[in-house]
Amino acid sequence: MTVQWTVALLFGLATLLAWARLWLWQRGGLATGRASPVRLALLMLLQPLVSALLYYALFPPMVGVGTPDLRIATAGTSRLAGAVDGAPLILLPEAPVIGGGEATPDLATALRRHPGVRTITVLGNGLGPRDIDAARQVAVEFDPPPLRPGILNLTPPPTVPAGGRFVVGATLAGLSDATVELIDPAGRITDSGSADRDGHFLLAGTARAAGAVSFTLRVRKDKRLIEQADVPVWVTDSTRPRLLILAGAPGPEVKYLRRWASDAGFDVTTQMSAGGGIALGDAPVALDAAGLRRFDVAIVDDRAWAGLRGPLIAAVRGGLGLVLRAGGAIDGATRSQWQALGFGLSGPAGVAPLALPKASDEAVARTRHGIGSDEAPVDMALPEDFAPDVGRLGLTPGGGAAVPMLQDAGGARLGAWRVIGIGRVALFTGIDSYALTLTGRRDLYGDWWNGLLTAVARPAPSSHMIPGILWAGERMALCDIGGDGQVENAAGAQTRLAPVAGCGAFWPARAGWHELRVKDALRPFYVQSHDALPTMRAARDRQAMAMLSTTTPGAPAVAVTTGGSGSAWPFWVAWLVASALLWWLERSRVGRRAVLSSSPVEPALATASAAP
Amino acid sequence: MTALLAHWIAPARRRALADTLALAMPLLIAGGVVGWRWGGLVITLLIVAIGSATTILIARRSAARFDRAWLIRSLDNSRPELEDSSALLFAEDAPLAPLQVLQRTRIAARIDQGVPDDLRPGWSRRTLIAVSIIAATLIIAALLWPRPDEGPPTLAAAQEGLPARPGIPRLVAQNLRIIPPSYTGLPLRDSASLDARAPQGARLEWTLRFDPQPSAAVLTMLAGQPLSLRRDGETWIASRTLDASFLYRVDPTAARGPTPPLHRIDAIADAPPQVKALSPTASLSMVTSGQRNWTPAFAATDDYGVAATARLRVTLAIGEGENVTFSEREIAVTGSGPARDRRFAPRLDFSSFGFVAGGDMVVQLIVRDNRAPTPQEVRGPSMILRWPSIKEPESGGMEGMVNTTLPAYFRSQRQIIIDAESLIKQKRGITPDRYIMRSASIGGDQQILRGRYSQFLGGEEEGEPPLPTADGHQEDDGHDHGGPPKQPSTGFGAPEDVLGDFGHPHDDSPASSLDPETRAILKQAVDEMWQSERELKQGRPDLALPFAYKALRFIKEVQQATRIFLSRVGPELPPIDATRRMTGKREGLASRTLAIAPVEGRDGPAAAAWRALGDGLDAIRGPIALGALEEWTRTNAGRLPDALALSGAIDSVRSDPACMACRARLRAQLWTAMERPLARPARRRPADAGGARYLGAIGSAQ
Repeated sequence: MTVQWTVALLFGLATLLAWARLWLWQRGGLATGRASPVRLALLMLLQPLVSALLYYALFPPMVGVGTPDLRIATAGTSRLAGAVDGAPLILLPEAPVIGGGEATPDLATALRRHPGVRTITVLGNGLGPRDIDAARQVAVEFDPPPLRPGILNLTPPPTVPAGGRFVVGATLAGLSDATVELIDPAGRITDSGSADRDGHFLLAGTARAAGAVSFTLRVRKDKRLIEQADVPVWVTDSTRPRLLILAGAPGPEVKYLRRWASDAGFDVTTQMSAGGGIALGDAPVALDAAGLRRFDVAIVDDRAWAGLRGPLIAAVRGGLGLVLRAGGAIDGATRSQWQALGFGLSGPAGVAPLALPKASDEAVARTRHGIGSDEAPVDMALPEDFAPDVGRLGLTPGGGAAVPMLQDAGGARLGAWRVIGIGRVALFTGIDSYALTLTGRRDLYGDWWNGLLTAVARPAPSSHMIPGILWAGERMALCDIGGDGQVENAAGAQTRLAPVAGCGAFWPARAGWHELRVKDALRPFYVQSHDALPTMRAARDRQAMAMLSTTTPGAPAVAVTTGGSGSAWPFWVAWLVASALLWWLERSRVGRRAVLSSSPVEPALATASAAP
Repeated sequence: MTALLAHWIAPARRRALADTLALAMPLLIAGGVVGWRWGGLVITLLIVAIGSATTILIARRSAARFDRAWLIRSLDNSRPELEDSSALLFAEDAPLAPLQVLQRTRIAARIDQGVPDDLRPGWSRRTLIAVSIIAATLIIAALLWPRPDEGPPTLAAAQEGLPARPGIPRLVAQNLRIIPPSYTGLPLRDSASLDARAPQGARLEWTLRFDPQPSAAVLTMLAGQPLSLRRDGETWIASRTLDASFLYRVDPTAARGPTPPLHRIDAIADAPPQVKALSPTASLSMVTSGQRNWTPAFAATDDYGVAATARLRVTLAIGEGENVTFSEREIAVTGSGPARDRRFAPRLDFSSFGFVAGGDMVVQLIVRDNRAPTPQEVRGPSMILRWPSIKEPESGGMEGMVNTTLPAYFRSQRQIIIDAESLIKQKRGITPDRYIMRSASIGGDQQILRGRYSQFLGGEEEGEPPLPTADGHQEDDGHDHGGPPKQPSTGFGAPEDVLGDFGHPHDDSPASSLDPETRAILKQAVDEMWQSERELKQGRPDLALPFAYKALRFIKEVQQATRIFLSRVGPELPPIDATRRMTGKREGLASRTLAIAPVEGRDGPAAAAWRALGDGLDAIRGPIALGALEEWTRTNAGRLPDALALSGAIDSVRSDPACMACRARLRAQLWTAMERPLARPARRRPADAGGARYLGAIGSAQ
C-alpha cells in the first residue's frame, strides 16, 4: 500500500466521520428546532471537497500535459543532435558532451522528470543494461548503427583439466579473410586459423598445471591488429577417476591404455582374460553390481563385453560410465548388441583405414607440449613424419539418441555416447590407437581417450567456472549462493553479497579473475575490462534493444502515479479557501433559525450542569 | 706522306705515354693500398679502375701534343741542314710550287741522316723519383696506420637505468669487446651493449668506466664465481673466455647500491659440419657397362669452415653367396671450393681398388671442421656402387622377387619336336603299331606339357574340346563313364613343380602372375599344343609337327617377352581348430599380476610459482619465496627451453617483488617451463534431484 493510498483512505475516513458528526448534530438541531437542511447540505458537500483538495495539495496531480516524446542520447551520439530541433534531448552519462540537452544519471530518472512520455527515440549506439528495464515502459524508436567489425561472440572453454586440450570458439562480424590467433601465456602463437563464411572459428590450446590462466585471442587482417581479447581458462585438478579396463585377451591396446591411465593418475584396475580361466593384470575384482559400483568408468572390449553385458548395463544405469571398444572387426552378435544399446551402426563391416589429422608444424607443436622428462621425453611428430597405421571399424556410430564425438581427418565419426539411466555409454570405433603413442602422437591419443572418458565418467562434484562474458562496471547476478556469499577480486579485495532468494548482485569494479566463495566451495569467474570486446557488448545491447516494444503504450506509464512536478500551491489555496468557507459556515448562523433568546440559555445550561 | 709523319712522331709519342704511365703507377699502387686498408677489396678495385682510366686519358692527351707542328718545329730547331724547310716534307696535300718541289727533294735526301728517336723527350726522372717517394710513404703510412679496433675501444654511454646518487659509484660508460676464436675467421667486434651473442670460445673483454671511481668492482655472475675488474687508468677492465651462456650484472658498489640490471651473453655453439651426397643421389647405383672408374661427389658445409682434406672410407665386398670378403681402407681426399661449402669428388679407379664384377663398393666421406682445439668429425652417408655378377642375372631381393621363367618347360617342347622328327625318320624301320604307339607316347608327353602350361592360364584350358562322337552323350545316359578323370601321371615335367608338391604357392593361381599380353600368347601356344597332341595321339606325328613348331615359337615369344613377378603376400594361417583349444598341458600357468609403476610429473616448484604469481586462488601478492624454483631451474636446466631467461626472470622478481611487469615476465617464462601432465577427465556435475528423476524416467522407459 502506497502512501497515497493510505492518505486517501485516511481522508475518506475523516470525511465519513465528519458526515456522521454533521448528521448527529442535525438530529440534535431537529430536536431544538434549529436544524436547516440547506446548511446541512452545504456542509456535507464541503467536507469531501476539502479532503480532496488537501489530498491533491499533498499529492498534486500532473498539471498540464508534458511532451510525449523524448530523444535519448547514448554513447556514440552525433554531436549535431543538440542542434536539431525536435523533442527534448536527454543526455545519459555515456553520451558525449553535447550542448542543449538535459543530463540525467539514467533513463528512469529522465522518464520521471518528464512524465507523460510515451515514445523515446534512442540516438547513438543504444541503451545499456542499466536502462533497458526503464525503457520497457515506453515505445522505443531505435535505428541501430552498423556494428563495428570485430569479435561478435567469444566462448571460452568450460573448466579444463590440468594438461587437457581445450577449444575456444568465437564468431567474427564484418571481417572476411581475417586471421585469428590464440596466444599462450608465454606470448607464443599456439594456434591460428581463419573464420569460415559465417565468421565462426575454433582454436585449440593446451593447459598445464591447475590454476587460472589467460590466453589471448588476436584478430588480424592484412597484418593489422583488429581486436584482441582475453580468453580466461580455468584449469583444475579433477579427482582421480577409478578406471576399470576389461579385455578379452591381452594386447598392445590394453597395455598402452593401462600405461596412459596410470601415468595420468587414474586408479586403474586391469583385467585381461588369457583363456581357460587365467586372468592377467591387476588383482581380480568381483564384476558384479557391488564391484562395479566402485568404479567411475570402464573401458571394455568386444570380447569381454560378450560375457558381462548384464552387470555392466545395470551398473551404467546406476551411473557408471562405459566405453565400448572393438579389438578388431566385430561379429554380427556384437553388432546387434551394440545396436540394442541405442546406437545406430551404419556402413560396411570390417576394418577401414583411419585418416589421422596432420601433425601441426614444429613451432606450434612446441607450444602445445610441455617440457620433457627422463621418463617421458618430448616426442613430437612433425608433419613430414611417418603416420602410424591406425584403423577403425567401417561402421559409423550414430542414431538419434546418441551424441556424436571424435572425428578423423576424413570426417569419419569415431565415437558416440548416449545416456542410459543416470550413466552414459560410449562407443569407440578406433582400432590399434596405441600406435599413436609410439609415433609421437601421444597428445592425440590422450585427447581421444580423455575425451571419451570425460563424456561418460560418473559425475562427481568439482570446481566449475561461472560461464559467460562479464564486463567491469556492469551489474551481474550470482545465484545459488545460499545465505552467505563472498567475492574476492584479483587485488584481494573482498565483497560480501547480500542475497535475495539465493541470488546476489555484484558490480565488479576491476577486470581480472574473481572468486565466488560460498561456504567452502569456490567458483571463479573472469571479468573483462570495460572496453574489452566492444563489438560483442554492442551486439548484446542491440539484441536487448530489439526486444523492446516499438508500439506506443495506451497511457503514459510513469506519469500520473509518480508525477511530482505538478505544482501544489493552487490546491493549497483552494483548500484554504474551502476550509475557511467551511469554518465560516459552521460558525455562522446563516440558514439557522434566528433564536436570539436561546442564546443566553446555553451558558445557563452550562452553568446549571456545572453547578451541581 | 702520313707514313713519314707517323714514322717521325711515333717514338716521341711512345715515350710520352710511357712516361705518364710510369709516373701514375706508384700513385695507383699507393691508392690501391690505401683503399684496401680502409675500404676493402671492392674499394681497391674501384680506385685502381678509375685511376687507370684517368691515367690512360692523361697519357693519350700528353702524347697528342706531339703532332705535325711540333715535329716541324723540332726538326727546324735541331737540324740546320734541313734549312728550315722540313714543313715541305710534312706538308698537307696542298699543291706545291715547282721550287718547293725542288727544295723538298733536297731535304728529303737529307732527313734520313738523323733518326726519329733523337726527337723523343727525356724521362721526367725527378718527378718520377718524387712521386715514388710520396707513394712509398703513403703505402707505409697506410699499412702502419692503427686499426680502429686494435687500440683502446671507444666507450658507449651506459644504459643501466639506475638513479645517480652521490657517493655511490655508477656505471657511466661501457664497451664489450668480443674476440672470436681465430679458427672462425670472424673479425673482432666491439659491442656498445653489455648483452651479446658470441661464438663459443670467444674472448670477452669488458672496458667500463664508473663515476665516482669505486674502490673495487666486480661482474657478478648469476650462477658462478664473480669476476673482479682491474683498474686501468680511468677505466676498469676484465676478460674471460666464453664457454657457456651466462647472466651477469656490473656491480661497482659491493652490493651497497641499487641492484643493477642483468645482462646476458649467449654462446653460439659451433655446429658440426653437414655432408650431403650430390651424385649419385640414390644410395645404390649400378656399374654401367664399360665403366672403369667412379666419381661420387659430396658437398660438406659448416658454419665456419670445413677442413680442406677429408677421409674417404672405401669398403669393398667381393665375392658371392656366402663367400664374400670385405676389405676396408681410408684414403685422403682434397676438397675444392670455399671453406664453408667444400666439394669433394674423389675419382676411384676400379683397377687400383681391385673392384671386380660381383662386388659392392661402399664409400663414406668423413669430414672435419676447423674447430680448435678439437675439430668435430662427421660421417656422411654411405654410397654403394654395385657391379652385378656376369654369370647370374641380378636378383637379391632389392627390387622385389624376380623369378626367371620356366626353362625346363621350353626345352620340353623342343624335345617333343625332336622326338617326333626322329620318329618320322625311323618310320620305315619300325612296325606301324609301334610307330602309332610311340607317337601316342609322345602325344602323352605333349598332353602333360600342355597341362603344365594350362596351369599357368588358371586351368581353364583343361577341358578338352568336345569330340565329334560325343553328340548326345550325357552324364546320365545309362552307361558307365569310368569315374572321374585320372590325374595326369607324374613323370615328364613334374619334377619342376617342387613348389606345388611341397609348398603352396602364395598367389591365387599361377595365372595371376602373368600380364594379359603374355597370357594371350601362352593361350595360343596351348591351343597349338592341343592340335599337336591330337595328331600325335592319332599316330600322325608328321601332321603334328607344324603345330608343335608353332607352339614352340609362341613359347619362345613368351620367354623373350617376360619375367614373371610373383606377388608377395603374408602368410595364410590355417583356421583355428576350436576342438583342440586349451587341451595341452597347463601346469605352471596361473593368473598373474602385472606390475606397473606410473610416471610422476615433476614440475612442482614451477607450477607452485606459476600459481603464486597469478591472480587466482593461490596467488601471493607480496614477495614470493623463489629459492625452490631457482634450485629446480638449476637442476633441470637441460629440460628447459631457456633456463637462462628463467633464471633472469626469477632474479628480477626477487630483487623487485613489487614490479608487476617482472612478475608477468617470470610467469610467461614459467609457462614454457612446465610439464604438460596427462589430462584426467573433467567430471560433470551430478544431476540434482529433478535431473536424476528425469534421467531415471527416460532410462526406465527404454
